[in-house]
Amino acid sequence: MTKLNCKTVCMAAMAIADGYQSELSSDQIEAHLASCSDCRREVGQLREISSLLDAQERRQRTENVWKQVERRLPDAATARSISKAWRPFMLLGALLLGYRIVEMIPDRDLGFLFKLVPVLFVIGAFSYLKENPFKINSELRLEGE
Amino acid sequence: MDDQAAIERCRAGDKEAFRHVVEHYQAEAIGHAIAILGNRDDAMDAVQEAFIDSFQALDRIDLTRRFYPWFYVILRNRCYKLAAGRKKREMNISDETEIVAPTSSIRPEDTMLLEQVMLELPIEDRELITLKHLDGLSYEELAERLEVPQGTIMSRLYYARKKLREKLVRHSFKGFSEG
Repeated sequence: MTKLNCKTVCMAAMAIADGYQSELSSDQIEAHLASCSDCRREVGQLREISSLLDAQERRQRTENVWKQVERRLPDAATARSISKAWRPFMLLGALLLGYRIVEMIPDRDLGFLFKLVPVLFVIGAFSYLKENPFKINSELRLEGE
Repeated sequence: MDDQAAIERCRAGDKEAFRHVVEHYQAEAIGHAIAILGNRDDAMDAVQEAFIDSFQALDRIDLTRRFYPWFYVILRNRCYKLAAGRKKREMNISDETEIVAPTSSIRPEDTMLLEQVMLELPIEDRELITLKHLDGLSYEELAERLEVPQGTIMSRLYYARKKLREKLVRHSFKGFSEG
């Protein structure tokens, strides 16, 4: 049997005390502790510390952070909606890029309808967004107006 | 309202549902943040930021899993970022850990000393000891919470307790039995 390293034994002894199955058996650990006073003292003190810590109680917290969090949530929600709002435009960009790559294939005449594809993409995107890109917003006012 | 229902409503933009989540978990979150940061004011900041971060990330949560372990990762990141930013600020007497007056079998001076030396530990060790002993998490739960293997938990706990022991000895701790 190989001689056990003191550190490994102490670590395993504490793990077993915590309910974790280490690589060393309880018999191996106890045999080592019986013959090594330094390890016996160290494990004894570490177990006492564990018991001392286990006997402590958690402080009851009564603070309420909801008001502070709530005040900043609209910004957070806006950030979420902004990131979502970009998705159709990203898709449109990817489609237009794909169209451009296909268009660049040499010696290929894809016909007049193919040239209308980008227009259809844009119409499709704005239909999806339910926005008229040519609508003039008459409610906008300059600052101080 | 359970967490899953509340989160689904939050995703639909219902802020009031998020209030349920915050009020349900804030005490635990504040406790953990104080355990890591050792300071109430920083902990309150970290908890607020973590709740806002989590609200923004609710689309990514797996609803089949519990909320708090997922949230804890966000809170932890916030705490460590805050701790790195403040560097080695001197802790004063008003700083506190999560430890309070324990059972009558423990001497009050031992608890006070324990609280003091806990604040002297590196934050990773303080966090681990708190989760292990105050929350009573198993190695498996600790490994999940801290995103490390169980073997790492075993060695880190061992070294954390050793550091605690050395500090207690340095402060002339009288609680160790002879032998």
